[in-house]
Amino acid sequence: MPGTDNISNSPEKIYRKRVRKITRNFFLHIHSPRIYPFSMKPGYTFGLGIVLGFLFLIMIFTGVLLMLHYTPSVESAYNSVKDIVHVVPGGRIIRNIHRLASHAMVITVFLHLLRVFYTGSYLGGRYVNWIIGVAMFVVVLFMSFSGYLLPWDQLSYWAVTIGSNIAASARELTDLLGITGILDIGGFFQRLLIGSETVGQTALTRFFMLHVIFLPLTLLVLTAVHLWRIRKEGGLSRPVAISSRETDKLLAWPMLMWVELSIFLSVIALLVLFSFFIEAPLLEPANPSHPENPAKSPWYFLGIQELVSYSAFAGGLLVPVLFLYFLVSIPYKDKEEQYIGVWFSGRRGIKVLLYAILLSVFTVCVQVFVMVRWGWLRNWFPDISQWFVMLVNPATITVMIFAAYSVYIRRKSGSSRMAAISLFTSSMVALIIFTAIGIWFRGANWEFVFR
Amino acid sequence: MERRSFIRRISIALASIAGIFLGASFLKQFAHRHGEQGKRIRVGRLSDFPVDTYTYINDHKIFVYRDHEGIRSVSAVCTHLGCIIQRTDEGFECPCHGSCYSEEGKVVSGPAPTALAWYKMERTPDGKFIVDLDKKTGADEKLYFA
Repeated sequence: MPGTDNISNSPEKIYRKRVRKITRNFFLHIHSPRIYPFSMKPGYTFGLGIVLGFLFLIMIFTGVLLMLHYTPSVESAYNSVKDIVHVVPGGRIIRNIHRLASHAMVITVFLHLLRVFYTGSYLGGRYVNWIIGVAMFVVVLFMSFSGYLLPWDQLSYWAVTIGSNIAASARELTDLLGITGILDIGGFFQRLLIGSETVGQTALTRFFMLHVIFLPLTLLVLTAVHLWRIRKEGGLSRPVAISSRETDKLLAWPMLMWVELSIFLSVIALLVLFSFFIEAPLLEPANPSHPENPAKSPWYFLGIQELVSYSAFAGGLLVPVLFLYFLVSIPYKDKEEQYIGVWFSGRRGIKVLLYAILLSVFTVCVQVFVMVRWGWLRNWFPDISQWFVMLVNPATITVMIFAAYSVYIRRKSGSSRMAAISLFTSSMVALIIFTAIGIWFRGANWEFVFR
Repeated sequence: MERRSFIRRISIALASIAGIFLGASFLKQFAHRHGEQGKRIRVGRLSDFPVDTYTYINDHKIFVYRDHEGIRSVSAVCTHLGCIIQRTDEGFECPCHGSCYSEEGKVVSGPAPTALAWYKMERTPDGKFIVDLDKKTGADEKLYFA
């Protein structure tokens, strides 16, 4: 017994043994054998990254089980999902867990993005990992979206029809320019996604392949690079003032392992618990000639759908592309490394954050109120050019106000970090408000409902 | 010419040719496929269309409207994002984003960028009606019975 051996009880021996537990294990050696105590602070990371990793593993495991019974054809898909729910032993719970985990992944990846931004963890040469993280955010959204079509029921069919039509939203611009016949960019993206103009067998095959092979593999590779870069960049981010002496580090074995195990078990326990109460929906089989009313995309795209209801091009392409460009460009514009590892970059950052929240709530709510109460340009001037409808709407006005305010903050504070906090916060709050409107306040025919 | 230099040039030339072909086939994807949509479709006989009613043709996503004088057809696809529009008392409405069209298919409100397309109709000698999806007409044009 190692515990009874005096030689193996010497501190140096125990130390080496614990280091080897990590370094000689294929799966565990993604961890550093010694970690900074700061990285273990729950209030700093909330364990969101590790929760995402575990959710991904649960998705793979339950996904493989579902694949054993699922048939990706228009004729059989619906019935095979029905069989999973009603015939396959435990199939209902496995499907519920899979769906809950996918939604949990979307929420967690969003929260993780917020955590990394507000702690300035893209600073200190970590810009590549930030960009990889943004790419993973997009992949997680599309991984969830691609699974949405597979049940082939009314909900999935019309949600994906809306989603795929958003992909074709560049047509609004090319139609206005009169060049769709020569350069149909919107149509290209739509055909790339669903293989034709309407959702059918080709779309189902493509979504199935995207969902079970391409996107999970992409996410797996990105996760590996993401974790590798964390190691290369000296572990999780931490304030400059925190000691980086090797002697102050903790051994990952066993403490970190206990923490991770407890997170893993908590995640599984919560998913299993909720899977008994929250059913994954399965409506009647898809009927291409009768849209659901309202036809809504998955909840995490309802913010975009709300913007698209103002203008297809502005909401479906222009604003999302600008938003992604902004996310990717953050570490190139802001290099104030003194703020790394400090929540909201201190008191000044909190003040900027609160003003940005107020600005965002005011800007979005006033515009939506005007639109709901009095309509928009087309209602006021029926013969107005489509150019105005496309370029002057709540989506574009919101972007311009936020960008102008961020420039103002940059000039006033002289800090790129404060400008980034302002633009990031106002954008995220607006995204949340537009998504909430799409989820709870849009009824039949996309009318605004307030109950 | 040296052997290495020769192999390098040949490799570059072959790679360039392959690149041109790949690039051309990629760019071709952007071009709108005119032939896909445009076709003549048989929609039925006069008895299939009740008077003063918009009859929805599921396979081709169009409405056929018959009155006492004639018959005409209009696209049932919203010009905003391609949802199937629904008939209302005032005209048409899209359930996806609430675009409203008048009886003539003109955009009244909502994000739809253009009016609905009206298609030319013909009648075959055996009495069946044909909608020509290649030929667009005005909202006031119809195929008169007499």
